[in-house]
Formats: sequence, structure tokens, C-alpha cells
Amino acid sequence: MDIFSDLVMGLSIAITPINMLYLLIGAMVGMVVGVIPGFGPSAGLAILLPVTFGMDPVGAIMMLAAIYYGSMYGGTITSILLNTPGESATVASTFDGYPLAKKGRAGPALVMQAVASFVGGTVGVLMITLLAPMFSQVSRSFGPPEYFLLACMGLLTLIVMIGSNWKLGVISALIGLALGTVGVDLETGQGRYTFGSAELIGGIYFIPIAIGLFGLGELFYAFYSGMHRVGAGSVVQYNKESRFWPTAHDFVSTRWTMVRGSLLGFVVGVIPGAGATIASLMAYSTERSLSKHPERFGTGEMAGLVAPETANNAASSGAMIPLLTLGIPGSASTAVLLAAFLMWGLRPGPLFMDQNPEMAWGLIASMYLGNMVLLLINIFAIPLFVQIIKVPYRILGPCIVVICALGTFTVHASFVELYLMFAAGIVGFFMRMYGFSPAALVLALVLGPLAEEALRQTMTISRGSFGIFLDRPASLWIIGVTIALIVLLPMMGKMGAKAAKAKNAGA
Amino acid sequence: MPQSTRPVFNRIGVDMRIVFLVALLGASIFYSYIAFYDLNFMTRSGRLGPGFFPRIVGAGMVIMTLWALADALRDRARVAAGGAPGADDAPLGGWRDLAILLGLAIGYAVLIRLFGGFISTVAYLGLALVLFNPGRLVMNAVVALVFPATVYVLFDRVLNANMPPALIDLPF
Repeated sequence: MDIFSDLVMGLSIAITPINMLYLLIGAMVGMVVGVIPGFGPSAGLAILLPVTFGMDPVGAIMMLAAIYYGSMYGGTITSILLNTPGESATVASTFDGYPLAKKGRAGPALVMQAVASFVGGTVGVLMITLLAPMFSQVSRSFGPPEYFLLACMGLLTLIVMIGSNWKLGVISALIGLALGTVGVDLETGQGRYTFGSAELIGGIYFIPIAIGLFGLGELFYAFYSGMHRVGAGSVVQYNKESRFWPTAHDFVSTRWTMVRGSLLGFVVGVIPGAGATIASLMAYSTERSLSKHPERFGTGEMAGLVAPETANNAASSGAMIPLLTLGIPGSASTAVLLAAFLMWGLRPGPLFMDQNPEMAWGLIASMYLGNMVLLLINIFAIPLFVQIIKVPYRILGPCIVVICALGTFTVHASFVELYLMFAAGIVGFFMRMYGFSPAALVLALVLGPLAEEALRQTMTISRGSFGIFLDRPASLWIIGVTIALIVLLPMMGKMGAKAAKAKNAGA
Repeated sequence: MPQSTRPVFNRIGVDMRIVFLVALLGASIFYSYIAFYDLNFMTRSGRLGPGFFPRIVGAGMVIMTLWALADALRDRARVAAGGAPGADDAPLGGWRDLAILLGLAIGYAVLIRLFGGFISTVAYLGLALVLFNPGRLVMNAVVALVFPATVYVLFDRVLNANMPPALIDLPF
């Protein structure tokens, strides 16, 4: 009953006209972010974070969260109509989404992806509602050793998921950790890597780096790969089809796919480092192996579209659990969300839900409403997003540079941060090009100071003995889970890769 | 996520990877030098000092970058001998347009400092659109004026956020 009354309280906060307006704006912006190829939720969140300055914290966080999960909805529109995923989490949606569109079923595919996203997102939020208080309760026994191990777990799982380029993933994480050491050492007061600059005393702020890496870096890469030269001529003309709505068979045949995709996606989403991309590929692969007609996958099978869509939306909800209850972001997008929380003086963690019930439950309640809003937007505003797809990248690109630059400046009115953002953009391009992981860098930059502080506190408690990590049951559990994830995650990744390979071979 | 298939590769990409890794190695060595020589491993009271974490990170960076560099050099030798490139070699792309965009972005960063947010954005966008979207003068002019105006109104008026001030005030 406690959960129910908390949720009602959250609804009463979320449902005010101004918060609903922020939610609607967030959902629309998230859809737009998702629709723009090569422009993921991390970039969208980082760039738009400064726009929320001056807003009420609850409304701002609701809006940013809506951008985050809204982008999962939007990314699929291009997957279906253009055969180009709006972001990596919707790659699997191209496998059957585009063939469905080519078969003259773009309308039903668009509606079904919206419904699947809604189901995945709503099941995910339902699970958050039930599980977040429990996670919060468990994590209250955590001390510095556990926080250090959790930070390591987040980074290790992300690196393991990089696959054959794991060495470059480690380097990316180390660069992030190194950047995190810049500034005054809080324990001794000694400056580290400040080189006499007053602006670096407080450390390297995370937002310019995130905007540079994800916003500019991706944009530079898009220009390098010639995306600005491609027109929108290959967009499937869904409005000429005879039937826009799905059939009853579409719903009935995919009902269990939605359940499986939602549960699988949520579980994968909770694991730090795994994320929506792995969840969607795994769900596709699972559905294909469970299907009576696996040969139909890749040729326009509705279950092949519904499975990854439910999974990626459920995963984006699942990723909120470690963020809200442990204060540990599991992905670059949730790292930006963490930055947003910190900006408003809120520290997610074990006590967050108790100390800030309005914020925590307001956010959770807003996610229920957000998914409903997104379902409606997704179905009825498709023509609008098709128009956005048609805006050429050669016009959009230079405008994105402006948003990145001015967005960065508005945070602290700092030219040093503006130049850092441009530098991070150039580095981000090379990282993207040579297989490094900007996500690992950003995550390490956020988790680095936390990990260092926790490690130093741990060593003080244990008087320099690393044996403390093996003495505490909670630490042992985390070590065990980390080892299991390091072993299991590559296998899960291979499952997804196999599905993609099978699809490519069939194409 | 599975590795994307990269069918086309070029020699420049392989060489550029080596240049990037060498630059990274230089930065790692510099970072480690400061960690080992300027920052203390332990404090006077016997606790872990400000250099403890940077030393681990710096040493790790140097070792891992050296390893990646060795891989890149091996790839280079293989590509030079006509072999297939490695998974992390760069695909063939358009350096020209990228260089233009990079140049414009750097120029924009300088212009912002000199002329503030609005004027520099109009100038940058105007030039960028002329170069990337040639032959559509009216459309480019409209975008170059309307977009900065919208951003200015949003940031400066609606959100009351900081816009970059001009170092040089223009007479208009």
C-alpha cells in the first residue's frame, strides 16, 4: 500500500499543468532526437540540459527523462521508413521494420512499434515502481567498499560489452578517470593538473565533455561518413498505403513477444553497461529462436519488430533503477541524467527515495504519463516526424554546432568550457572513428571521482588492506555479480551479434 | 552491439590511427610524469595521497596505449603488405567536408569570443550553409537569420541563460 500511496502522491505532482507541459515538450524533443540519425539520447540530453536552467527541478528532471525514453520511440521511425536506425538501440528494428515497410505495411509497422514501445516502457516503469524501493532498502547497507566496487562494475561491464575493441574501451575509461582527477584534491587541498587555471580548480565539468563527445563528435563523424550528402529520397511513402492500422492478428500474434521483450529488456537494462542496444538485439534473437517460423525473420515479420522495440524501451526504464537507488549510472545517457540531478543539488542513492519522495515518485509517475503521451504522439504525429527526417543533414549539422556551443556556454558562462567542448568534439570524432568508446569515457569521468573517494575511504577504514573487499558480505556479492556479468555479457552480446549476422546473411 | 561491417578502408585511416595513438601516448606520459613527480602517493598522516589514483590511472594509460599502438603498427604492416585491415581501422570517408566543418567550428569558437553569440552565429551559419548547401541563397539566408534569432530568444529572453558576450562591440 505504501508504494500505491507514494505513486498517487507522485501523480499529483506530475499531473500539474506546467509539469505536463514540460513532459509533453520532453516527449516531443525526445522523439526528434531519436529521429535524427547518429544523434542518440546521450547527445540530446547533454545538449538540452542547459535549456532546463531556470525550471523547477521536478519539471526539469521529468522533461529530461522524457527526452531519454522518448528518443527510444523516435529512433524506430527512421528504422522503418528509411532503413537507418535513429540510434544504436533501434538497429534491430531495421531487420524486420524496413522489410515490413517495403511490403506495403509501413503504417501497421509504425503503429505496432508505438504500441510495443508503450508496452515495454510501461512494464519497465511498473517494475521500477515495485523494485526501486526494494533496491533502495538493500543498498542502505552499502559503504565505501561497495560503492567503489559498484563503480568498477559499471565500467567493467561497459568495457566487456565493447567486444573485440576492449583495449580501446579500457583506454577510453582511463582517459575519463584521468580527466576526473583534475581539480583540487578534496582530502589534502592540493591542486592536481590545474596548471594555474582558476577555472580548473573545481575540476573538469562533465557537461562540456559529454556535449563535445556525443554532440560534436558524432556530427563530425556523420560528415566524415558522408551523411550530409544523402537526401531523404528513400523514405517509404507510408501515406499511400491502403491500410494504416494493424490487424487484430498483428496484436494477437505478438502478445507474448511483448511480454518476453519487456521482461528481458528490463533485466538487461538494470545491468550497468549492458543497455538498450544489447537488450533489443537479445530480444530479437530470442524471439527468432522461439518462433515456429524463424525463416520469416528478416523478411517483414511483425514479431521481429515488436521484440526489439519492447526490449529497448523496457531497458531504458530498467537503467533508471541503479541510477535512482545506487546513484550509479549504467550508461552514458543515465550519466547525463545523473549530472542533471547533481545540478539541482540532488544526490541519487539509497536514501534518495526517502529524502526526496516528491522528486523520486514524481519522476516515476511522470514516466507512466510520458509513455501514454508518447504513444499518442507516435501514432498521430508521424507526418511531422517524417518532415523532420526530410531536413537534410547538411542544414541540420551546422545548426547542431550552434546548439552545442551556446548550450555549453550557458552552463557556467565559461569560455574555457566552450573550448573544452570543441576539443572534446575533435577527440570524440577520432574516438568514434577508431573504435574507442566515448560512453566509457563519460561514464568514467562521472564515476571516477566517486570511485577515488570511495577507494580512499575504504583504505582508511581498512588501514590499507585490500582484504576488506573480501571480508564484507555485500562486497563479496558485488564481486560475484561482476564476475558473472563479465562472463555472461559477452555471451549475450554474441547472441545479438549472431542475430544481426543471420539477418545480414539473409538480406 | 556487434561490430559494424566496414567494407572500405584506406591507408590514411590506418596512419591517422597511429598518429592519434602517439598523441595519446604523449598525453599519457605527461599525465603520469606529473602523477609520479608532483603528486604524493601518501599524505603525512599515512593516508592515501592525491597521487595514488593518478599514478594507477597514468600507468594504466601508458601500458594500454602502448599495447594499442603495437596493434596499430602490426595492422599497418599487414595493410601495407596487401592484407586485410583490422576491425578498428577507419573506413574510407570524406576528409574534405570534415576539414571544412572542423575549420568552421574552430572559427566559430574564435568568433564567439570576439563578437558574442548572435553575430558570430549568423556569420558562421551563413558561411556553413553557403559551403554545404550551395545554390539555395534565400533558404540559407533565412536559416542563417531565423535560427540564431530563435536560439537567442530562447536562451536570452525565455530561459534567462547566459549568452556569450562580445569582446568587440560592433557599431550596429
